[in-house]
Amino acid sequence: MTVNANQKVLKKALGVGLSAVMGMSLLAGCGSDSNGNTANGGSAVEGDNGKRVTLKVEVFDRGNSPAPHTITNNFLTQMVQERFGDPNNIDVEFVPVQRSEEVTKLNVLMASNTDVPDIVFTYDSSVFYRYAQQGGLTDVGAILDEHGPNLKKFLGEETLSYGQIDGKQLSIPGKRAVTGRYSSYIRQDWLDKLGLPVPTTTDELYTTLKAFKDKDPGGLGSKNIPMGMALAPAQFETLIYSFIKPVKGDLTYGQRYELPLHEGFKDAMQFLNKLYNEGLISKDFSLDEDKTQLGKDLNNGYVGYWSDDVGNLAYADGTLDVLYANVEGSKISAVDTYTNANVDNKHIKSRYASNGMYIMIPKSSKRAVEAVKYLDWMASDDNLVLMYSGVEGENYDLVDGIPVVKPDVSKEFADRLFNGGDMAIISNGKNFGDQELNQKAWISGFPERHKEILEQSYAIANTDTVGPIVFSKPIEAEPKYGTTLNDKLAVIMVKTAMAKPEQFDAVYEQEMKDFMSLGGTQLKEELEAALKDL
Amino acid sequence: MSERTSNRIFDIVIVTCVALFVLFCLAPFLHVIAVSLSSNRAITSGEVTLFPIELNWKAYAQVFSDNAMIRSLGYTVLLTAATTGLCMLFTIAAAYPLTKGYLKGRKTFMVIIIITMFFSGGIIPEYLLMRDLRLLDSTWALILPGLVSPFNLIILISFFNNIPQSLEESAEIDGSSFFRTLMSVVLPLSMPVLATLALFYAVGRWNGFQDALMYINSPELYPLQLKLFQMVQNNMVSELTQMEGANRTPLTPESLKAATVIFATVPILAVYPWLQKYFVSGVMLGAVKG
Amino acid sequence: MSKVSYLKRYWQLYALLSLPMIYFFIFRYGPMYGVQIAFKDFNLFQGIGGSEWIGFDAFREVFNLREFYTALRNTFMLNFLDLLVSFPAPIILAIMLYEIKGVWFKKISQTILYIPHFISWVIIGGIVYQLFGNQSGMVNGVLEGLGLSPIPFLTEKGPWLVTYLFTGVWQSAGWGTILYLAALTGVNRELFEAAEVDGATRMKKIWYITLPSIKPTIVTLLILNLGKMVSIGFDRPYIIGNTAVREYSDVLSTFVYRVGLESGQYTLATVVGLFQAVVGLVFILGSNYISKKMTGNGII
Repeated sequence: MTVNANQKVLKKALGVGLSAVMGMSLLAGCGSDSNGNTANGGSAVEGDNGKRVTLKVEVFDRGNSPAPHTITNNFLTQMVQERFGDPNNIDVEFVPVQRSEEVTKLNVLMASNTDVPDIVFTYDSSVFYRYAQQGGLTDVGAILDEHGPNLKKFLGEETLSYGQIDGKQLSIPGKRAVTGRYSSYIRQDWLDKLGLPVPTTTDELYTTLKAFKDKDPGGLGSKNIPMGMALAPAQFETLIYSFIKPVKGDLTYGQRYELPLHEGFKDAMQFLNKLYNEGLISKDFSLDEDKTQLGKDLNNGYVGYWSDDVGNLAYADGTLDVLYANVEGSKISAVDTYTNANVDNKHIKSRYASNGMYIMIPKSSKRAVEAVKYLDWMASDDNLVLMYSGVEGENYDLVDGIPVVKPDVSKEFADRLFNGGDMAIISNGKNFGDQELNQKAWISGFPERHKEILEQSYAIANTDTVGPIVFSKPIEAEPKYGTTLNDKLAVIMVKTAMAKPEQFDAVYEQEMKDFMSLGGTQLKEELEAALKDL
Repeated sequence: MSERTSNRIFDIVIVTCVALFVLFCLAPFLHVIAVSLSSNRAITSGEVTLFPIELNWKAYAQVFSDNAMIRSLGYTVLLTAATTGLCMLFTIAAAYPLTKGYLKGRKTFMVIIIITMFFSGGIIPEYLLMRDLRLLDSTWALILPGLVSPFNLIILISFFNNIPQSLEESAEIDGSSFFRTLMSVVLPLSMPVLATLALFYAVGRWNGFQDALMYINSPELYPLQLKLFQMVQNNMVSELTQMEGANRTPLTPESLKAATVIFATVPILAVYPWLQKYFVSGVMLGAVKG
Repeated sequence: MSKVSYLKRYWQLYALLSLPMIYFFIFRYGPMYGVQIAFKDFNLFQGIGGSEWIGFDAFREVFNLREFYTALRNTFMLNFLDLLVSFPAPIILAIMLYEIKGVWFKKISQTILYIPHFISWVIIGGIVYQLFGNQSGMVNGVLEGLGLSPIPFLTEKGPWLVTYLFTGVWQSAGWGTILYLAALTGVNRELFEAAEVDGATRMKKIWYITLPSIKPTIVTLLILNLGKMVSIGFDRPYIIGNTAVREYSDVLSTFVYRVGLESGQYTLATVVGLFQAVVGLVFILGSNYISKKMTGNGII
């Protein structure tokens, strides 16, 4: 009885399974059909001078394509096809790579030889160095001279130098519009309430934080956080850079995990230890690697002072908007407090290198010339403006030479630029070849109401900056020990900060010994040798 | 204490324990639902716990108005159904012969299968294989590599082994072929475990996206979980994105993430209650008697 | 029996088996040549075939890393604790569910219990931090309200281990019951009636009837679990772990991610993978052998 009943059910289940499979193969057919001709906006013209060729270009997929756009077929890809592809008899095909799995996918594509796009890129210098070291990249020097005059002019010598190894141009670095990186902020209403001046040195900052702690101007009790801290670069780098001594002029070693190799690092850790033990910074900073908790504390008005990526607080619905809505009478000011005793008490802070991502053409690519032509096309005329800002009159109006987003821009027009920043790979941020214009363009990307604090932040972020040193050949210890040491750096900060003050020295020595034994020694030797050779 | 009271106490203790655990399991889910229905201000200020604050349906309106999302849901349902069907066919085909102690080479086959639980070629050779089989960027790339899970196979073998030999033998004496014995005796007696394994395969496929990251380029073939992964991961501020500087994209609102999580989870959650009807006790008993 | 008549009699079984075996050879053994990477100085662009042989150099390098031993120790420790706590949890839960008489309560409970399995670790991590943080965590908020001192759930070894285990049980126990519930459908109800007549208590019935009937399933899963003693998922230790407890939360999977995949050193990653595979195989075959001797149940 039971057996029979169940048999029927089983047959039904098998039937459902089979018909689903059949449906699937149909669907699969559709899928492969429709992806063959992506970005096919214009009519295909069979050129006279040779066959039509396909240029494959990597594109970051962040899963934010608004319908009806897809990452491989949208306003900008069609525009590229029409304006660059068709006139040059090239089909431009975009290969999506998930943003967060970028390197894994790129490695696999590189290893396949056949499927790798003709243009690939990464922000990670060690990935670029590794590919270069293993001999997988095209030297584009000569091609750039012949086919990339606009591109060379746009990027400039300094930016291009980031892509050179032993005199070979193995990558084309994008150009960064805004190199200022960090600014600090303080609750002006707290200062006013306590009748305190804006702190301008590290010592004054300490006094102010003490006052925030003792007098609790926000009336927050145990929730009071005089200084907001997270285990994220924007928070700890600002502190560390105000103690370390640059290795040469205004230059420091380029990688974050090389910070412990600078003079003055111990003083930074000692200061962090003091702040922690006196209860002046977020107690749980060691758990907050993505700044989620810091963001909540900021929005609730628990934090008196903090450092952050420049502009990060000014997005629509960001910290400023939410804080002002949550806490009546709250007021934030941008401040430049940390002073570095090793560098004449200047407000030393780090800046970005002048390059953006590393654009590379794999050695296996047969379309190196077309690839350079594409990048050159992007750098010429107003193509970058079109990619970043869209069409004049539809997306933006020209104000003082910079495109300003129309306040009443329709959703349709706004949506079609969703991937502008990711398509315009040669430029990080809106580049107009002039700092002032770049700043204006940058600020125009934020809500109008925050203009003043953004201008202050921008100025602070560009004051007394130190940048990463560039050696003529890669440091081999970097790709080898980099990730391990980066992890160790976090451990050093957490362990030394949370140690009892009297145990600080012992903990610091122990952790640094560990750091050196995990590859720090080799790294230090190589860096020092490279520094001598400069 | 009478037997009845002790029985009652036993029942109460068990029900309380289970109810407590159920509450524990439900709470985070309620939290995600609450986030999906709350305002951005309340979420980023950390005010939302189990109930929505400043209730609104905007996030769901956005999810449901996204055609790509709806399409992806349909595709994922089909993909999951097809995968489950094929996986079950292959797993059953492997399990049944391997329960026969007298089958020559059985141990060798088992060892060959068990080795694959531990050794694998790694991501690059696997990608190259898919390329050489011309499966890249097709639905088959998401189905074929995981056809038989050795883990599920071993479980099925162990359940098949528990079916009284006498039942099968009587069928075999009747002159029934192995294939018919499988269909008419073994499978009907194994409905609970078959339902369980089907659920394992279905959930595995539904929650999987790593293969799609590697093998799929066409947005039309993105499974739902890949879209969810993009939303949750790609928008995280991390080591990875901090070099983006001025190119940083604004973050996806938390409520939209949460609504997508709900949208992508509820369909597969609905499968289990439906499968519960196969968990009938005493199947075996009925068969022995019948 | 001659070969011909053997095949004549059993060909159907081989025919059935052939399809899955073809699958295993193509999709599982096809890419297996990749294990060579462990013995080569792998260069992405020259491919596996073109890269240079380096013998056991990479093994020596890995076995000389102190971090490797820390990760190995932690993997063992966390897996062992999981075996003690997370392995029995679904069995107990399944038996409790089996004992419940209310049909609706039972069904709804089952459905809710397996929800955590579907919530990704990223989200679980966020919730865990919200609950167990020192300053902002809700649990410590309650403790503070009661006048107790806060517990460093996430930043000190002992409490962190408890948190780690608890999240594991919470996430997997409900999901784990499903298989046991399937096994429990095979319990012979007549035995209960007989036991009733003998006046056996509930606990006795569970011990002498329910448990033995799911013993083969328990043994099978235990063997499979023992095979996984040196392998560990990436997400749970990575997300529940944090810098303050790195010495205990760094396991082989996070180690491989860091020294191998993240920095593109496939050779080191493959070496560790190969090590795990060999140990896992030895464990699973060994425990199968012992189990066969002791209980008569095994997986082969």
